[in-house]
Amino acid sequence: MLQKTSKLKLTKIAIALFSIFNLSTIGSLKAEEILRIGAIPDQNPEHLNRLYKVLSSELSKQLNVQVRYKPVTNYAAAVTAFRTENLDLVWFGALTGVQAKLQRKGSKVIAQRDIDEKFHSVFIANKKSSIQKINNINDLKTLKNKRFTFGSESSTSGRLMPQYFLNEAGLQLKDFKGGSPGFSGSHDATLMLVQSGSYEAGALSEEVWKRNLERGRVDPSKVFVIWKTPSYHNYHWLAQGNLDKKFKKGFTKDLTNVFLRFNEKSKKQKQILELFSAKKFIISKNENYKQIEKVARNIGKIK
Amino acid sequence: MKLIKPVSTLLTLIPSIAYIPISIEIIKGFHIGGLNIIFQFISSAIKPSFNQELVKSAWEGLQITIATALTSWVISMLIGIILGVLSTDLFWKSIPKFSYLGEFIKYSLAIPRSIHEVVWGLLFIQFLGLNIWVAIISIVIPYSALTARVISEQLDSFEIQPLIAIKQTGSNIMSSFITILLPKLIPIVSTYGSYRFECAIRGVTLLGIFGLGGIGTELYLTLKSFEFNEMWTCLWMLWFVIILLEKFIRFFRSYLSENISLKNSFSILILIFILSLSLGISWLYNLNFELFTPLSFSYLNFPSFVEIRNEFNTLPLFKLIITTILITFFASGIAIGTPPLLLVLFPGKFLLKVQNLIWIFFRLIPPPLTIILILLFTNPNISVAALSLGITHMGVMGRLLTDNILNQEKSIYRAIKSNGSSKQSATLYGILAPQSNSYLAYGAYRSDVILKETAIIGAVGGVGLGWQLQESLSSFNWAQVMIITATFSLLTILGEFLFNTSQNYWLSNSTNNFIS
Repeated sequence: MLQKTSKLKLTKIAIALFSIFNLSTIGSLKAEEILRIGAIPDQNPEHLNRLYKVLSSELSKQLNVQVRYKPVTNYAAAVTAFRTENLDLVWFGALTGVQAKLQRKGSKVIAQRDIDEKFHSVFIANKKSSIQKINNINDLKTLKNKRFTFGSESSTSGRLMPQYFLNEAGLQLKDFKGGSPGFSGSHDATLMLVQSGSYEAGALSEEVWKRNLERGRVDPSKVFVIWKTPSYHNYHWLAQGNLDKKFKKGFTKDLTNVFLRFNEKSKKQKQILELFSAKKFIISKNENYKQIEKVARNIGKIK
Repeated sequence: MKLIKPVSTLLTLIPSIAYIPISIEIIKGFHIGGLNIIFQFISSAIKPSFNQELVKSAWEGLQITIATALTSWVISMLIGIILGVLSTDLFWKSIPKFSYLGEFIKYSLAIPRSIHEVVWGLLFIQFLGLNIWVAIISIVIPYSALTARVISEQLDSFEIQPLIAIKQTGSNIMSSFITILLPKLIPIVSTYGSYRFECAIRGVTLLGIFGLGGIGTELYLTLKSFEFNEMWTCLWMLWFVIILLEKFIRFFRSYLSENISLKNSFSILILIFILSLSLGISWLYNLNFELFTPLSFSYLNFPSFVEIRNEFNTLPLFKLIITTILITFFASGIAIGTPPLLLVLFPGKFLLKVQNLIWIFFRLIPPPLTIILILLFTNPNISVAALSLGITHMGVMGRLLTDNILNQEKSIYRAIKSNGSSKQSATLYGILAPQSNSYLAYGAYRSDVILKETAIIGAVGGVGLGWQLQESLSSFNWAQVMIITATFSLLTILGEFLFNTSQNYWLSNSTNNFIS
C-alpha cells in the first residue's frame, strides 16, 4: 500500500514538473515589426512552400525587414485577414482584391504579373456533350440546360467573369441543368470534372488550363476549349495603406520597386518568377479594377 | 439477460435501404470518364510522395492539428463539466431557490450546440481575423455545450436518495454534493472525454479544410490541385498518428483504472487537464503561433432590419431546407445501415478486425474530399453529397460497433452456432442483436451530428444551406449570413429534439450504453 501511494505521488510530481517544463519553454515575446505576406493558394502545398520561402527571404534581404508568410486557403479568410490587419501584403485575385480594398480604406494595388494585365478565362466542354466551339459570345446560350460548373465561388476567372459573360449572353444561373451550376472549388477540379464527363461544361482560368496542358493532364480526346473570354485584369499585390508609417517613409515605394526589379539574372529571382509563372512583374493601380468592381456589384458579390 | 426483440436487430439493417435511391441516382449518372483519375487516386495510395518539403509541412500541419485539438479539448472539457454540473437538477436540489437558473443554463446551451464548429469558425474568422484562437474557440463553444449535456444527463439519471440522506444529517450542502457526485462524474469524464478528444482532432482537421491551418489545409490543397501522391502522404500520416494516439489513450486509461483508486483519480484527472493544457499551449507557441498577442476585435457593419427582410425574401430558403433535410436523411441511412450489414455479410473475428481498421480510415477522410472523388464517376446530384457525408459517419458508427463487439461476451453467438446455424445468422442473432438497441440510440445521436455537418458538405457540393452560407460569406453579405445561420440553428435544435426522443426510446430498451 505504502509503495503504491509513493508511486502515485511520483506520478503526480512527474506530471506537475512536466507541466512547468512545458510552460517554461515559452520564451519572451518578440515585439519587432514583421512584414506579413499572404496569398490565396491555387497550388499544391509543396509548390507553395518553396514559393514563399524564396520570396520571403528575397524580400527580407532587399528591404531589410523580417518577412513572414501566412498561408490562407479560404478566399473570405484572406479578405478578412487583410481587413483585420493580420496581413500587410496579399497576393489577391481581382474579386477578392476589390473586396479587401473596399473593406480596408487606403490600401493600394502595387504590382501584378505581366499576364495579369490581359487575363482570360476559358470555357471548356466534354467531347461527349453536344456542345460545339463558339465564335460569338451570344452562342454561350448553347450551354442552357447543360450540367455546368464554376470553380471556387470567389474566383475571378473561375466564376465572376464567366458568370458575367454568361449573363451578357442572356443566360442566368438557374438556366443550367438541375437549376444551378456546380462549384467545384478549384480550377483543377473544374477541369477534371468536365474531362470526366460529370459536368458537360465549365469555366476556368486560362493560365491553369495551359499549365495542365503542359503537364499532360489534359486529354484532348475528352475535353476541349469552346470559347476564350475577352481580357480583364486579374491577380495583384495589395498592400495596406499604412506600411510607410509602420516601417519607414517610402517603404511602399521600395516594396513596389523590389517586385518591378525582379529579373532572370539573379538565380533566386528567376526561381520566384518561375514559381509565379511570370516573365516579370509590372506596376498596377487601384483604377485597373473598376470594371471588376462593377461586375461584382451586378452579380451580388459586393454589396 | 433481457429477451431480445428481433425487431430492433432488423431495424439496424433497415437504414441501409437508403442505398436503393442513392444507387439508382448514382448509377443513372454513372460514367467511366473519371475512371483513370480514380485509378490514379487508388494507385497513389501505395506510392505516396516522399518529397522532403511536403513531408515536413505535413508533419508541421499534423502537429498544429493535434496541439490545437488538445488545447481546445481541455478547455471544452473544463467548461463542459462546470456547465454540465450547473445544469443538472441534482445540483439545484441543494439550492432550490435558484433552480430556474439550472433550467435556463440547460436550455440556452442548445444554441451553441446547434451550430457546427466549422460554421462557428467561419463566423469568428470575420471578427477575430486569422488567429489560432479562432480554431480553439470554434471547437470550445459547441464541444463545451455537448459535454455539458452528456454530463448533466448522465448525472441526472442517478439515484438522488443518498444526497437527500446526507443532507438530512445536516452536513454542508456543497460538500455533500461533491461527496456524492465526484465518484459518478469521474468515469463519465474518462470515457466521454477520450471520445471527445478524437472528435476534436476530426473537428480541427475540418476547420483546416476551411482555411484555419493544420493537416486539413494541407489535405485540401493537395486535393484541390489533384496531387494524389501528396494527398496520400498526408492521409497516411494522419491515419498512423491517430491509431498510435488511440492506442496510447487506451493503454493509459486501462493503466489508470487498474492502478488508481477513485479517491486519487480526481487529482489525477486535474493533473491530466493541467498537463494537456500546458502541453497544448506550449506546443502551439513553439509552432510559432502568436498565442499571447491580444486578440483584436474587428467590427462589422451589422445589417439593418430592412436589409434582413429583403434578403429573407430573396433567399430560396424552403428549397435549401428541403435539400438539407434530404441529405441528412440519406446520409444517416448509409452511416447507420452499412456497418451492421457488413458485419452480417462478413462475419468472423479476423474480418471484424479488418473492418475495424477500415472504419478508422473512413472516419478520417473529410467529406469535402470524398465528394470530389465521387463526383468523378457520377453526375452531380444530392446523392453525391449524402454519400460523401454518410461515408465519414459510417466510419464513426462502424468503429463503435466493431469495438463494442470485440469486447462483448461471445456466449450467445457460440450457443446459436452450436445449434447448427450458419455463421451469418449466428452473427445476426448472437452478436448484432445484443448491440442493436444501443447502436440505434447512438445512430439517432449520429443523425443529429450529420444534420449539423451538412453545413460543410453543401459548401463543396453546391447544394443546401451549407453552400448558401459559403456563398453569402464570400459575398460579405451579413444579412444573408445571419438568416442562414439562424435557420440552420433552428433546424438543428428541432432535429436534436427529434433525435433525442428516438434516442431515449432506444436507450430505454437497451442492454448496454454506447456513449458512456
